[in-house]
Amino acid sequence: MKLSLLFFAVSMLLVLLQTTFLHLLPLGPVVPDLILVLCVYWGLYYPNVAAVLGSFALGYSVDVVSSPILGLNAFAMSLVFLIVYLSSRSIWLHNPLISAIVVFLASLVKGAALVLVWAVFLSMEGLWTGAARYIIMEALVAAFLAPFVFGLLRRGQSYLEQIRVTTE
Amino acid sequence: MLAFLRKNQVLLSSGFCLLLSLYILTAAARGHLKQDPVGPILLWLMRPLQIAAQAATGWIKEIDQRYATVAGFRTENDRLRKRIQELEVERNKLLEAQATNQHLQQLLEFRSHLPSGSITASIIGNSASSWFQSCLLDKGSADGIRKGMAVVTPLGVVGQVVSTTSRSAKVLLITDANSGVDVLVQRTRARGIVSGSLENVTIMKYVKRSEDIQEGDRLITSGLDGVFPKGLMVGTAVKVRKQSLGLFQYVEVMPAVSSAQIEEVLVVGGEPSQAKN
Repeated sequence: MKLSLLFFAVSMLLVLLQTTFLHLLPLGPVVPDLILVLCVYWGLYYPNVAAVLGSFALGYSVDVVSSPILGLNAFAMSLVFLIVYLSSRSIWLHNPLISAIVVFLASLVKGAALVLVWAVFLSMEGLWTGAARYIIMEALVAAFLAPFVFGLLRRGQSYLEQIRVTTE
Repeated sequence: MLAFLRKNQVLLSSGFCLLLSLYILTAAARGHLKQDPVGPILLWLMRPLQIAAQAATGWIKEIDQRYATVAGFRTENDRLRKRIQELEVERNKLLEAQATNQHLQQLLEFRSHLPSGSITASIIGNSASSWFQSCLLDKGSADGIRKGMAVVTPLGVVGQVVSTTSRSAKVLLITDANSGVDVLVQRTRARGIVSGSLENVTIMKYVKRSEDIQEGDRLITSGLDGVFPKGLMVGTAVKVRKQSLGLFQYVEVMPAVSSAQIEEVLVVGGEPSQAKN
């Protein structure tokens, strides 16, 4: 229960960060996709139904606050979660480098999913050439930040675990 | 059966979410999704947090700006530096007050030239994704803002309202790849459509090769799209290229308004009419 509340609070915080403070970073048009990092974290370490719904809800939140059409990011995040979950069965090493690589690949999957769905529902000229730059930049930024976000989430969890042990 | 469901619950729920999002996408794309039941609640929850965060962002920007101003005086002695800092703080406050006053006066004056029913609103959030250029306003349908209304400042066009809740509104900026503003070249009256692109440049599309357009030409709204009043500044042509093939010229545009630098906007209601720019 406490863990779910922690993840809910973190989700709200990440959506808030992505709509406000992260725009202050000198990264040009790229906004670090911490929401994707959280979905990957869930896919790797908490593959359960709540995490599936959480990934969908996070994508939907991004759609509500910024996407011109609902469902784009909800689809992409759900897909990312599913792929990370399926591949997590084969990932035995858990260190910062591996997490960064997984996030990088997940970001590429998300970008490709967005472009594909975009091409189907919102036809646009020069979509692929413009998108390629975004996908790679976003993936690099997300991969760079992933070890830090993973570390913070693990700390939050172990703090909750300590509280649980002391109260018992 | 129950054991199968339990064993594959993550896979099944993921599949369900994927199908649900595709259903939402299809319904939204076809315009069948008239009311989003969850979005307004989420925006309602986020609104106070976003307002607070935006205030903190403004504070951080101010600190950053102040630091940059003071950085030039590092080599001077301590007394002068302290004095300069004090004066700088005071000056910033005065300049901020003066700028706010001037800005609000401009808004008031500009508002009188727009169709009646124009609404002043503040920007409380930006896009959460690099893929979309949008922002959130602190006013919504309860304040009279409706989908399709134009969002402008005295400097020029900002974008268009794409969705509203009772207390907030989402604006698609003209720099977004999905937006389009019908414009005229002020000097020659050549027509085109200004739109964003994923390559982070704003372009003017569908300008015939035969049309006379030069770098530095001002682009204004034509009023023909039924959204933006005629005569509002949209931007300036900064790069004009006639490609070897094709019917149209390539025109790159510098938007008149940078969304990063605006805090207040006017949401234009009523029938579009000619604006004095």
